[in-house]
Amino acid sequence: MAAGLRIAVELAAAVVVGAGIGLGLDHWFGTKPWLLIVFFIVGCCAGFLNVYRTAQELERRARERRRADGGESPGRADDT
Amino acid sequence: MASPVEQFQVQPLVGGESAVAFTNSSLWMVISAVAVTVFLMASMRGRALVPTRMQSLAEIFYDVIANMIRDNVGSGGRKYFPFIFTLFMFILFCNVFGMIPGGFTVTSHIVVTFALAAFIFIAVTIIGFATHGLHYLRMFFPHGAPLWTAVILIPVEIVSYLSRPISLSVRLFANMTVGHVLLKVIAGFVPALGIAGIVPFVFLVPLSALELFIAVLQAYIFTILSCVYLNDALHMH
Repeated sequence: MAAGLRIAVELAAAVVVGAGIGLGLDHWFGTKPWLLIVFFIVGCCAGFLNVYRTAQELERRARERRRADGGESPGRADDT
Repeated sequence: MASPVEQFQVQPLVGGESAVAFTNSSLWMVISAVAVTVFLMASMRGRALVPTRMQSLAEIFYDVIANMIRDNVGSGGRKYFPFIFTLFMFILFCNVFGMIPGGFTVTSHIVVTFALAAFIFIAVTIIGFATHGLHYLRMFFPHGAPLWTAVILIPVEIVSYLSRPISLSVRLFANMTVGHVLLKVIAGFVPALGIAGIVPFVFLVPLSALELFIAVLQAYIFTILSCVYLNDALHMH
């Protein structure tokens, strides 16, 4: 449940930031709907990227735990 | 029946309506900070080789955070241990004190959690630039990507980077607020249903335990994500 909520928040936050930047820039430049549309799409992409990275990290963590349970030395998480 | 969101009301205690008034929120922050200090000082006073119950509790907290930093940041993260440890203990105590009946959950306000997250975000960005100089901007454009993709990749990466403080603060705030509203709504059914109120009352007991678990878990998640961001800044990905 915690992992699901984490991913959901990650997705929503990027969309909100994207739309916020779009609204702000539109207000600033007076190009009413266009930058909002562009940055909304960019925000969606960033949201998917966030979800992908979070999932990757959770997967890596789960794999480490499995390896630690398997009796081998878990070692230190490498930085790559 | 009291409104379920009444518990989140911020009331000035000293200083009237002015913007710098000392509110009940500030009071509970002070209580948490003092409680952390007193707990750690009192439990570590003995410094016994065979720890007392309190001392081993403090040592467990120390071990959890020390391992978290070693696993997520590496040896370069040692010097940030005091900050991470303070962050964890403060959020943990704020969350858990929110479970005291009549208490006030400081972390159920997005202003508080966003201030914490924004501080971490700015600090991590400064640490990144201090460690890598202008190379830190490489964060926004991965190695090996064709140059023309920069038009798409750089805005996406920047928005993704900027969304970190939002997701960090909203997660803690939403978990605390939703849990407390749920508890209050179900507690409201108990007097309203009369003798049948025993059913929601029974349901409240495991729910309170779950909320206590979430209070600890969310403090842990907030801290571990700070470590992940710190690792990104120190080593880049």
